[in-house]
Amino acid sequence: MIAAVIDDNYERIKSDLVRLGLSYDRLIDDMLDHVCCMVEEQMHGGEDFESSYNQVLDSIGEKRLPEIQHQTLLNLDKKFQHMKNFTYIFGLSSAILTILGSFFKRMHWPGAGIMITVGMVLIVLVFLPLYFISNHREQLEKKNPLYAIVGYLTIALLLAGATFKIQHWPGAGYLIYSSIGFILIGFIPLYVVNVFQRSGKEKANLPYIVMLLVGIACVMLIGNINMSKDLLNVYLDESISNQERVEQVQERTASLLELAGDSAYSDHLANISRIHDQARDLQVMISGMQEGMISFVGQPGVSIEEVKGKDNKNAGREAILDNGAGSAFIREAKQFASMLDELVKDEVANSQIEDHLEFTSLVWDFEHGWDGVRDSPLMKNYFKNTDAAKGIALAEYAAIAYLLHL
Amino acid sequence: MIANDLLKGTLRTIVLKLLADNGRMYGYEITKKVEELSTGKIKLTFGALYPVLHKLEADGHISTEVEYIGKRVRKYYTLTETGRTWTEQKVDEFFDFVNTLSYVLKPTPA
Repeated sequence: MIAAVIDDNYERIKSDLVRLGLSYDRLIDDMLDHVCCMVEEQMHGGEDFESSYNQVLDSIGEKRLPEIQHQTLLNLDKKFQHMKNFTYIFGLSSAILTILGSFFKRMHWPGAGIMITVGMVLIVLVFLPLYFISNHREQLEKKNPLYAIVGYLTIALLLAGATFKIQHWPGAGYLIYSSIGFILIGFIPLYVVNVFQRSGKEKANLPYIVMLLVGIACVMLIGNINMSKDLLNVYLDESISNQERVEQVQERTASLLELAGDSAYSDHLANISRIHDQARDLQVMISGMQEGMISFVGQPGVSIEEVKGKDNKNAGREAILDNGAGSAFIREAKQFASMLDELVKDEVANSQIEDHLEFTSLVWDFEHGWDGVRDSPLMKNYFKNTDAAKGIALAEYAAIAYLLHL
Repeated sequence: MIANDLLKGTLRTIVLKLLADNGRMYGYEITKKVEELSTGKIKLTFGALYPVLHKLEADGHISTEVEYIGKRVRKYYTLTETGRTWTEQKVDEFFDFVNTLSYVLKPTPA
């Protein structure tokens, strides 16, 4: 009886399913039988065909059938499934390669540059396009491809910029600025709209995790971006010229000390040797910090020109701040400055000395003090040390010359 | 009701195991059976079921037979030989997973 009623309505049910969006024959067969079974069950409960059928149609809703069909066809599309798997494996391995490269970079091990570059090229040219394409194909209701294009350009430019910056290739700045432009005027507004549109519909899954890893790779890269090579070279040149200056001044001081040995200056001899001894102590402390920084990047005893980790930010932190060498040095340098202040009565000579020892003053401290050391690359901290060494040598010379009435 | 995200990965195993235990079944029967066995806690909707069935068929784990019920076609799904061994594997994997989870999630006496 019930079966007969349903058979009478067979064509109608079938055309309704087609109208609701089914076109794949094999799925139509499945759904047709399924719907008929649902209607039969309702009718067994005592309802008539019309109300049973309407309830079943209501429970199916408008959008479900096209979604099911889309999902089924994607599941059957071998090429698409391969592409998806390939995309994730690719994303995962290039993200890992990049993270590993960043780690190598941080440790100053060889091969970091090539790993980061290869990882980035793979992410930008292979993973991201595949990701956006497969993501787009998976959606039943195609979103505006603008989302994908803006998203791709933003991420690609940002990653390329970071890589250029790390490798010190020209043009990094333009890439990074244009990607920031894309983020501000394109990506963020679109993303926010997108999230609101599909809030609650989707949950975190593999694509999000892969994107997260790519993001981490990105952040690690940007964390590695340091001073440009040019600026590092400026600091290097200045450091070398400072060191040469220190040697010249110390030679001159040595000849002054010989002179002081004459009996004519015997009343100043005690003060002169106090000054000289303290200055020497300070110089020893400075070279201790410099050696500390150089050995931190793994090459103890090598001259600053040959050190590879000139942009290492941890070296200064470790060799100057963490073990207290920096504060001990400043404490002694301040004592040195006040001792010279007492011994040198002449105002002109005194202010010259003050200029040389400017790094012990509070103003200097505020501007270039501990925070500066913490956030500066090795080369900059090294330069500041040579600057202090030069100041000490000049102040020493000026004070001794004053005491000898030269 | 069991949350959908918990079910997501096990749907395929459930379908395979049902077919292994009951021989040939059609789609509606599978959804009903799941509801019955889980005392209504698992609702396997047709939206989740058919994409999985078609995928399993395409991969050669199940095959179909067609029967006519009046005018309409009813498709019965059966495990193939490879599907049968695969099912055993999947069910074992699943129990392994559940056991491991219970070790992890059970509070151990101090």
